Amino acid sequence: MNTLDAHRWLADHGDYLFRVARRQLHSDELAEDAVQETLLAALTAQARYSGDASPRTWLTGILKHKIVDQIRRQLREVEIPRDADGEEAVDSLFKQDGHWAEPLRPWGNPQAEAELSQLRRVLDECADRLKPMMAQVFSLREVAGMETEEICKELNISPTNCWVLLHRARLFMRQCLELNGFSKVGAT
Amino acid sequence: MKWMTTCKVTTELASRAMDERLSFGDRVAMRMHLAICKNCRRFTQQLQDMRRLFRTETTANDDVPVLTPEARQRIANELQNKLDT
Repeated sequence: MNTLDAHRWLADHGDYLFRVARRQLHSDELAEDAVQETLLAALTAQARYSGDASPRTWLTGILKHKIVDQIRRQLREVEIPRDADGEEAVDSLFKQDGHWAEPLRPWGNPQAEAELSQLRRVLDECADRLKPMMAQVFSLREVAGMETEEICKELNISPTNCWVLLHRARLFMRQCLELNGFSKVGAT
Repeated sequence: MKWMTTCKVTTELASRAMDERLSFGDRVAMRMHLAICKNCRRFTQQLQDMRRLFRTETTANDDVPVLTPEARQRIANELQNKLDT
């Protein structure tokens, strides 16, 4: 009865869902799986779709749950080394007295589409280099825009842990971006 | 509550301020530090720049990843299987 709908979701929103998933899972294969699981779940749940939200918004909501499920599975598979929280690396960014070890350079203000898309590539590469746990929390917060409360609950970590991971992830992302030319691109 | 914080502590507050409203004391401490520290002002600005960049969809077509035809077909088949049962 709804054959058309399900196939139209794939046709109209498949690529978009794939991009959202790929940016968080850092894998084509896992992202394809997430899209498939999302559309299958949507098919099951479509009776509950009220039509208030656009199909894309509704599907993206389902996708986020699938992504979190996938991240949880990955977390169990990844053995986190003792220094995974990066405490020492954070210390090295600051002097003993708590001041910055190195001055921060200003970033440009990229407006052009080409510049933005180049920056996005650097952003994604830097995100890939974060420690797994840090990367998950960071991308749920900054890419998916989930609230920290939600993230704590989903990943079963304490709020304090979540703040610490986000703080460290942001410090490293910032440093990685600066080292990879962020301070030059777009500077006028 | 400390009235004068270090850069390191300020980055913790600035990071947390991206996620929730800070307590009054923390807000004051952060602002006082920012008033005198250019590096930390840059840091807080760059946190916002990062968020903006991550949440902006670029429309440039050169390297936008899309589903491969094979993956698309596979998903379509799975949907059809489910529809048929």
